[in-house]
Amino acid sequence: MASVSCPVCEAGVEVPDDALEGELFECSSCGAHLEFYLEAGKPRLKLAEEVSEDWGE
Amino acid sequence: MLVVKAGGRAITANASNIVRSVVRASSSKQVVLVHGGGDVVTEYCRALGIEPKFVVSPQGIRSRYTDEKELEVYVMVMAGKINKSLVAEATKHGARAVGISGADGGLLLAERKKRIVVVDERGRKRVIDGGYTGQIKAVNADLIRSLLSQGLIVVVAPIAVSEEGELLNVDGDQAAAYLARALGAEELVFLTDVDGLLIDGKLVGRLSADEAVRLLPSIGPGMNRKVMLAAESVKAGVGRAFICNGLGEDPLSLIESGIGTAVVP
Repeated sequence: MASVSCPVCEAGVEVPDDALEGELFECSSCGAHLEFYLEAGKPRLKLAEEVSEDWGE
Repeated sequence: MLVVKAGGRAITANASNIVRSVVRASSSKQVVLVHGGGDVVTEYCRALGIEPKFVVSPQGIRSRYTDEKELEVYVMVMAGKINKSLVAEATKHGARAVGISGADGGLLLAERKKRIVVVDERGRKRVIDGGYTGQIKAVNADLIRSLLSQGLIVVVAPIAVSEEGELLNVDGDQAAAYLARALGAEELVFLTDVDGLLIDGKLVGRLSADEAVRLLPSIGPGMNRKVMLAAESVKAGVGRAFICNGLGEDPLSLIESGIGTAVVP
């Protein structure tokens, strides 16, 4: 489990070691919805876009 | 004017009766029929060696994941086999029908969903590429009006086109609702495989759009989407929306007999 900095409030967010890119987390400090990604192999979090549900048939 | 959405299960089990019912209704009003057919797409994918992929939304709704290969089958089956079979069925019942997809004449212009949120096989929420599904942005209502004015029943396959020229899988319920709004239809009907909105096992006969919106959190997946689109449509000017069973002998007669769920302004 790695602690990754929240881009909103800079609190540490616990991210499992097996997290996949695109996985979503919530910052327990500020409540921001965050998306996991890798930057040069390092775990990072960014603010998740709002993606509404409206899929096809 | 009547816009009817017939779901895939109703079409698979009862296409002849549904089309006969549409043909009867077309003697007194203009009718647009939007069809589903996801189960048939799945069947043809498997026959062609393409294993269909499904994804689950955080709200628990399971949907088809349309990648490039599956889109090809989707278009062939929806705009080809299902759409033309319904047109042929209408001919058998003495009507003239024209089958088009939402891509024809820019009928349904949509924006490709770049990313979607799913719950993955580990039960964790993840953002993935949206595949070839779309959200409808514009409707060419004049094309439909022109076809209807020639006395034709218009049968629409739920395929849209993007500004970039991509064919997209769009939800049939969404397509029917957007068409009904753009055409200012008197009635939007969802033919499904249940009697309408059931709450605690009892059929809800009638509710206002505001009541429908309030009830949404307590309605199960699939039906909640129909109720939401019904409410949005009547708020946007459609006279009335009706959700009823498409498995009977004359499904559209249920509108007059009132067996189903009416959503009114």
